[in-house]
Amino acid sequence: MTVWRKLGGSAHYAIVAALAVLMAFPFYWMVTSALKTNDEIWQFPPTLWPHDPLWHNFADAWVAAPFARYMLNSIFVAAAIVVIQVINSGMMAYALTHMKFRLKGVFTSLILIGYMIPATAVYLPGYIILGKLHLLDTYGGLILSNCVSIFSIFLIRQAFLQVSHEMIEAGQIDGASHFRILWTILIPLTRASFAVLALITFIEQYNNYFWPMLITKDPNLQLVSAGLRSFFVEGGAYGLKWPLIMAASAFTIAPLLVIFVLTQKTIIQSVNLSAGASKG
Amino acid sequence: MRKNNFAEEGKALLFTLPAMIPLALFWFFPLAYVIYLSFMEWDFMSPDKLFVGLDNYREMFADPAFFQSLRVSVLFCLGSVLPIIAIGLGLALLLTSKIKGGAVYRTLIFSPWVTPTVAVSIVWSWIYEPEVGLANSVLKMFGSDGIRWLEDPNWALVGILLVTIWKSAGWAMIFYLVAIRNVPNDLKEAAELDGAGVWRKFLNVTLPLISPTTFFLIIVQMVQALQAYDQINVLTQGGPAGSTRTLLYLYYQSAFTSFQIGQASAVAITLVVGCVLLSLASGLVGRRAVHY
Repeated sequence: MTVWRKLGGSAHYAIVAALAVLMAFPFYWMVTSALKTNDEIWQFPPTLWPHDPLWHNFADAWVAAPFARYMLNSIFVAAAIVVIQVINSGMMAYALTHMKFRLKGVFTSLILIGYMIPATAVYLPGYIILGKLHLLDTYGGLILSNCVSIFSIFLIRQAFLQVSHEMIEAGQIDGASHFRILWTILIPLTRASFAVLALITFIEQYNNYFWPMLITKDPNLQLVSAGLRSFFVEGGAYGLKWPLIMAASAFTIAPLLVIFVLTQKTIIQSVNLSAGASKG
Repeated sequence: MRKNNFAEEGKALLFTLPAMIPLALFWFFPLAYVIYLSFMEWDFMSPDKLFVGLDNYREMFADPAFFQSLRVSVLFCLGSVLPIIAIGLGLALLLTSKIKGGAVYRTLIFSPWVTPTVAVSIVWSWIYEPEVGLANSVLKMFGSDGIRWLEDPNWALVGILLVTIWKSAGWAMIFYLVAIRNVPNDLKEAAELDGAGVWRKFLNVTLPLISPTTFFLIIVQMVQALQAYDQINVLTQGGPAGSTRTLLYLYYQSAFTSFQIGQASAVAITLVVGCVLLSLASGLVGRRAVHY
């Protein structure tokens, strides 16, 4: 019996390990391909580790296109969007949970309706509107058009609903303004949800491709995904430079993997919160 | 008292407008605008739009390309959602008991989800390279001639689906890990006392109790599948022969390549209707058929 259990245990372990390696293998393949020479990369069968790893491929790829600019663009735009969303989601959620006003019902149903609309379906009219506002090809357009998220509002609303009413009432009796209650009572108590909002939004916006690509044609304004994609297409035109393309993909992905490893707990916790938010 | 109310209303506006103005500008107004455009004929350039009533919809329903895209979208939904759910659940079941290094494996399996779709799709396009790419190298070891992954109309969608599944399966797994942990232990023990084996216990206790999670994941993934764009754009651009052109892709090709704004808008409305129906279904079924 114990022998069987042990055997089952190691089989279980082996299966899990194999699956994890399989899932991570594309990343490994990306890095080793980035280190190969153009000759070695076309060899069959492919080598698992390059004979002579060319670490300078990363430096070559970094200067082959303005990747520093692309990455700073992405980080700047994503960070600005995070700051605005923290503010407007917090205030909106506060109004929906702790204020009485006439338009409350209307706003609530509008938000619920908005939640059902697929964002991609309104990119065409959104593009035309952004053009009318003279915001195409500007940082302002990139930031403003993404500065509100219904998911973020739901997430914070859910968190505010779980704060006990006694704490708020105590604040109201002391004569604290709405802004004070939000800032000194609610936000400190729901830090975890704001952390989740910031992380998820940052990752989403850093990775964002379709909409930013649509509304910016100026290469100086391109975000990292769009920049990487044009590098990939140009590489194709001059005979594929796969090692450099893999190196560029690697340093595009790297910051996210670092953020992920550092903030794993928060990101995985977000799963709980997001399931709750969409049920509310 | 009246004045107080007035002040309160003003404060409420102050709190809601920072979110409501951008929502109106980039969400509700565009929705109204795309409905309006779907009744117009317009080429993006000319100053005048021509009202054509339901013509755009009539033409859409007479267009074989529309039905091909509809078919691709449905295949994309089923072909991504079902494997993501099944693999996610399988992985969660494997990782739910304590094993050495479990946290590390969980991290590895989840990591594709945080990475940019464009970058990982480029990596996969190298994996799919027909001559020396990783996928065909493995197939050739088993004596196959290999597959022209992205150039064969029979395989291109499979290639895109594999990337999509790889990216999201770990995400589904995390949801299931939480759901399985929340299944009360006494229920499992009661089933064990009744002599239920591992499989029966799973079928009769765990599976029904995690059904809300399954349901949630199906809806979210379907809406995502309808909106998938990045991986298609990098890997196939809708080709070969339209075999990976989803409704969304058709929408953008008719809008930004052939400048048939009215036609494109009609396709967009179809997408909106699809997503709204899915959301409504989740509201209705979610309340009735699912254990909470």
